[in-house]
Amino acid sequence: MTAPEENGPELPEREILAAEYVLGLLDAAVTLKARGLLTSNPEFAEQVARWEDRLAPLLDTMTPAAPGDDMWPRIQAALDQADLAGEPVIEVLALRRRVRTWKIATGFSAAAALALAFVALPNLRAPAPDTLPDAGPPAVGQAQQFAAADPLVASIPIGDTQLRLGVTYLPDREEMLVSASGLSADGVHDHELWLVTANQGTKSLGVVVPGEERRVPVDRALAKQLHNGSSLVLTREPIGGAGPNGVAGPIVASGNLRET
Amino acid sequence: MNDPGPHSTDVDTARTRLREAMQRLAEGDRGALEWIYQATSAKLFGICLRILGDRGEAEDALQDVYVSLWQRAKTYDPGRASPISWLAVFARNRAIDRLRKSKVRSGSVPVDEALELPDKEPMADAILESGERSARIHHCLGTLEERQQDAIRTAFFEGTTYAELAEQRAVPLGTMKSWVRRGLAKLKRCLEE
Repeated sequence: MTAPEENGPELPEREILAAEYVLGLLDAAVTLKARGLLTSNPEFAEQVARWEDRLAPLLDTMTPAAPGDDMWPRIQAALDQADLAGEPVIEVLALRRRVRTWKIATGFSAAAALALAFVALPNLRAPAPDTLPDAGPPAVGQAQQFAAADPLVASIPIGDTQLRLGVTYLPDREEMLVSASGLSADGVHDHELWLVTANQGTKSLGVVVPGEERRVPVDRALAKQLHNGSSLVLTREPIGGAGPNGVAGPIVASGNLRET
Repeated sequence: MNDPGPHSTDVDTARTRLREAMQRLAEGDRGALEWIYQATSAKLFGICLRILGDRGEAEDALQDVYVSLWQRAKTYDPGRASPISWLAVFARNRAIDRLRKSKVRSGSVPVDEALELPDKEPMADAILESGERSARIHHCLGTLEERQQDAIRTAFFEGTTYAELAEQRAVPLGTMKSWVRRGLAKLKRCLEE
């Protein structure tokens, strides 16, 4: 046999693109172009599907391996959360973050914030919105918020560990308390908390600080998205979080806000 | 309805049952997902593990796979080749996405080990084999030049981009693209012979 590459013509450009897309050879810009085509061009989608089918048998060579016994329960738990959110979790992975909802508060005692919030809570059952102290954008509230002024709580298990990320939303105070006590940093990743909204994609609730409790201001737009069953996901990100135009990293934990 | 699980040893029957389960899944049957999980998780976890080279990452990826599957079941086209192929690519894509976003690449298994034959998983065998198509792709890849095979395999198993491949192999980007594109054209011709 002589030089195989001399045989025959190259494939049409579109079909090459399909194969390159399947293989993952493309840079970010061309990948986006291919994804656009995938949704708008049935012929291209068909070519992608064909290449996937052609290459799929390569995966037969991979040795099967048994995942941990807790895998199925984990999946079920994730499904429950995803169902409630009504929003595909997969979208979380691909969505560019739109809003950096908060920045890490500096110079503020997280423990003090927590204490303050809980101490203040009994007095805030039915306040006028504009009397709320230090609550970010004023006059959020409206009937909807104050009608459901009970805190929402999520306790998010972290992987296989006994640890949990505690999230408490206090509608009256328009803030969310994120407790990561017990968690420790690995030095190479940060973890970022996201709210999965029904129709506005995901919203970052900021980087979780291991071992600390933080309060996150909840603005009006965000408050509207918070309700019993709201889905939260924790992703693994580079140090500093996903960045202004970053893509959310892999989901490492998830949970739902529940009425107490 | 309450299928006891994938114990069939007949490839066609197994494939049919998986396809049926996928269709039930698309109709929102959670039980179908559990059946599919039991039937396919070893294979899909093997893929995630192989690509990510890290058990924790692979388990996270596997969770993504089944949660995404549940949410995307409607996108499965029963007319497409084999359902396990679709699932395998689905898992591979999730794992590659994860690989790119994390820094676990250094721990991944070398490509050569991908050529190991699978263990005999009694449950998995029948349902998971795509049979002769598998042999065909290996044969056809084998007809390519070494450097073409290398580039295509590396991209497929590691999600390596053209730019990364060119850098790793110390060739100009245009050269790498040319190798791969000619390789793909030849691969397609061979597969369709």
